[in-house]
Amino acid sequence: MKLDHAHPGRKYLLYATRKRDMEAMHLPFPRDWTRENFNLPPNWKEIVLAKLDEVRHKYRELQLFLDICVACGACEDKCPFFLGTNDPNNMPVARQELLRGVYRRYFTATGKLLGSLAGGLELTEDLIRDWYTYFYQCSQCRRCAVFCPYGIDTAVFTMAAREILTAIGLTPRSLTESIAKCEAVGNHMGMEPAAFLNTIRFAEDEIKEETGIEVHVPINKKGADVLFIAPSADYFGEPHWYTFKGYLKLFHEIGLDYTMSTYASEGGNFGTWLNYEHMKKLNRKIMQEAQRLGVKWILGGECGHMWRVLHAYMGTMNVNPGFLEEPISPITGTRFQIAGHSKTVHICEFTADLIRHQKLRLDPSRNKQYTVTFSDSCNPARFMGLIEEPRYILRNVCPTFVEIDPSVNRERTMCCTAGGGLLADETLKLRLQAIKPKIDAIGETGANFLAFICAIDKAVYPEYLKHYGLKIQVGGVHELVGNALVMT
Amino acid sequence: MIDLLFLIGDVLPYVTLAVFLGGIIIRTWKWLALPVPTKIMIAPAPLTQPQVAVRLGSELLVFRSLMKADWKLWFGGWLFHVLLGVTVLTHVINIFFPSLWVSAGYGWYEAAGYAGILFAGMVAFLLLRRIVQPGVRYVSKPSDYGLLLLLFSVIFLGDYTRNFSGVDVAAVSTYLQGLISFQPTLPPANLAFLTHLLLAQIFLIYLPFSKIVHFVGWVLAPTRNQRNDARARLHMNPWNPTVDIEPWESYAERYRKQLDELGPGGERR
Repeated sequence: MKLDHAHPGRKYLLYATRKRDMEAMHLPFPRDWTRENFNLPPNWKEIVLAKLDEVRHKYRELQLFLDICVACGACEDKCPFFLGTNDPNNMPVARQELLRGVYRRYFTATGKLLGSLAGGLELTEDLIRDWYTYFYQCSQCRRCAVFCPYGIDTAVFTMAAREILTAIGLTPRSLTESIAKCEAVGNHMGMEPAAFLNTIRFAEDEIKEETGIEVHVPINKKGADVLFIAPSADYFGEPHWYTFKGYLKLFHEIGLDYTMSTYASEGGNFGTWLNYEHMKKLNRKIMQEAQRLGVKWILGGECGHMWRVLHAYMGTMNVNPGFLEEPISPITGTRFQIAGHSKTVHICEFTADLIRHQKLRLDPSRNKQYTVTFSDSCNPARFMGLIEEPRYILRNVCPTFVEIDPSVNRERTMCCTAGGGLLADETLKLRLQAIKPKIDAIGETGANFLAFICAIDKAVYPEYLKHYGLKIQVGGVHELVGNALVMT
Repeated sequence: MIDLLFLIGDVLPYVTLAVFLGGIIIRTWKWLALPVPTKIMIAPAPLTQPQVAVRLGSELLVFRSLMKADWKLWFGGWLFHVLLGVTVLTHVINIFFPSLWVSAGYGWYEAAGYAGILFAGMVAFLLLRRIVQPGVRYVSKPSDYGLLLLLFSVIFLGDYTRNFSGVDVAAVSTYLQGLISFQPTLPPANLAFLTHLLLAQIFLIYLPFSKIVHFVGWVLAPTRNQRNDARARLHMNPWNPTVDIEPWESYAERYRKQLDELGPGGERR
C-alpha cells in the first residue's frame, strides 16, 4: 500500500460556521473564524482535555477502543478516503491515533512517563487542525469496523473528536447551516409550510398527469394511522423526486391512512454528525409530532443516516414512546415485531411485506428498459442489516437485476463519501478520488440504473458517474416500485 | 547471587502475579463501570443471544473478521495466537501434570518443542511485517516494537532454555511446584532459565498497562456483542440528556398564515 507522506488530505478543510449560525444554535464560542485561522478561545487546551475526559467516561466503547487497538493494520486499506488520497492519516487506525495519542499522553501512566515513546501525542494547534481535517474526512460509514478483529469502530472516535471540536467552537458550515434551518423551520432545506404544501401539490399534479389518478396527501392530519417521515431531499431534489412520487402512488394504491407533517418535515438528521445533543434535538421533533397528531406508528422513507438514528438511537433517546402502538400493517396484518419498542418501520420492510402478501399489482415489464443494480448504503446495511429487503423488492419490480461485487457492497459497502457532513462543494475533489473503487465496481455490472435507499447517495452519484463517464441513471427503490405499480 | 536468585525467583513471581491479575481485573472493572449509551452493532448483527455467542466464538476461534481483512495477517496472527495457546498449555502441563508427557509419548513432547520454535518465528514475522509494510510502519510506535522484541526475547530464551541450556528439568519442576504451593525454593541457577523467567515476568507486569489487554477487551466491544434489536427493545442511556425544542404551538403561531393555507388548524385532511 503506497503512502503519500505529503498528506494531500490536508488540502481539504470544510468551511467555518458563520457567527450568526453559531449564535442561533447556541454553540460555544460564537465568533468570526475561518478554516485558515481558527481563532481558538484562549483556554482551548483545557477544554479539549476536559471534554476528552468527559466523553471517554460517557462511552464505554470509546474507552475500550482507545485501550485495545494493537495497530495490526487490518483496516489500513479499507477506508475510501485513504484509497482515494493515499494520505496515511486517512487510514482508520491512523485517524484513531490522532485522538488516541492525546489520550495516551495526558491520561495514561506510560504516556505521561514516556511521551512519544509510548505513542503519546502533544496537544498543539497543529494537531487540532489535523483533527478538524481528518475527523471531517471520515464519513462515519464504519466499513473499517467490519474488518477489525476487535470490532473497533472509527466512527466512535470521529463522533468523540467532533464533540470535542464543537466544544472549542470548531464546527463546519456544511453541518451547521442545515441543523440551524432544521431547528428553526423544520427541515434542512429551510422550507416553510407554504412551500412544503406547494411541493406536495406539485407532486399530486404530476402523478395525475402521468397516471390520470388523483392522489391526495394529508398533511398535519390528526388521528391518522401512520406518520410518514422522509428526508427533505425526497420532496426537493433530483432524482429523489421520482422516489417521492413512488411513495405517494403506493400509499394511494393501498389506501394507507397516513399523514406528513410540516413541523417534522425532515427525516434526515445532520445533528447526528455534530453531537448527541443536536441529534436528539432534531429527532425529538418527530416524536413530539407523532404524539401531537396521535398517530399509531411511524413509517420512514429511503434515507441512510436518518435510519441510523431511527433504528439505533431513537428508541434510546425517547425512552418511552408509549403513546404509539406496535406497528401492524393495516393491509397485511403483519406485526413488525422488530420495531416493537420504537414503533418505526422502514419503507422497504413495509413494501417487501406488501409484495410478499401479494397485495400489490406489479408489472415489472414497465422497468424493462433498465438493467438495475443496487448499491447498499452504509447505515441501512451496517447499522440496520437491511440488506435483503431492498433486493427482494427490486427483484419483484424489475425484470433485470444484477449485483455489485460484494467486496464493495452489502455489509462491506463503500461509502458514497459524502455522508457524515462531507456533502459540501469544498470536498468534491476529495470525494471524486475516494469514490473510484466503488465506481469501478458499479461500471463492471453493466447496469444502466443504479438504485439506492439513501438521499445522499442519490444526490451525489449523478455527478460522480458523469465525472467517470458512465451513462447510468440514478434513482430510488420506490421510484421503480412506483413505475411497476398498476394503479386502479 | 543468592539474594538475586531469591528476588527474581521467589519474590518477583508473587509481585508479577498480583500486578498481572490485579491489573487485568481493575482494567476490566473500569470498562464495565462505564455506560454503553447506544446501540452500535455492526451488521450482519445477530438477533438472539445464542447467535451472539456463535459470532463471538467464530471471532475467537478463527478470527473471522480478520480473515476478511487480510489473509496474510490473518494467517500470521492466527497461528501466532494458536502457538501462544500451545505454549501456555505446555507450561501448565510442565508445572502441574509433568507425568502427562510420559503417558502421551515422547513425540508430543518433541512436537511442543518445535511449536515453541515456530512461536518465536511468528513473532519475528509480525515484527518484520511491522517494519516492512508502510501502513503498519506509519502507525507503529517505539512501544509496539519494544513489546514484540520483549516477547521475542522471552520466547527465544524459553526455547533455548528448554532445548540447549542443559537446565535440570526436574529442578525447574520442583522449583515451580514450590512456588505454586507458596513454599518457594531457590530456582536452579541456570542463566538462560533465569533470564527467561525475569523477562517473562517483566512482560506480564507490563501487560495490563499495554495494548495486550485486547485479549479481554475484545469481548466487550458493543459493535460485536450487541444484538440487532435496537427498535425492538429499550436500550437505556444513563446520561440521556433532556433537550428543549420549539413546541408546535409557537411554531404554529409563527407560521399561522401559511398553515391556514393547508386547512383549518393547519391540517390538510
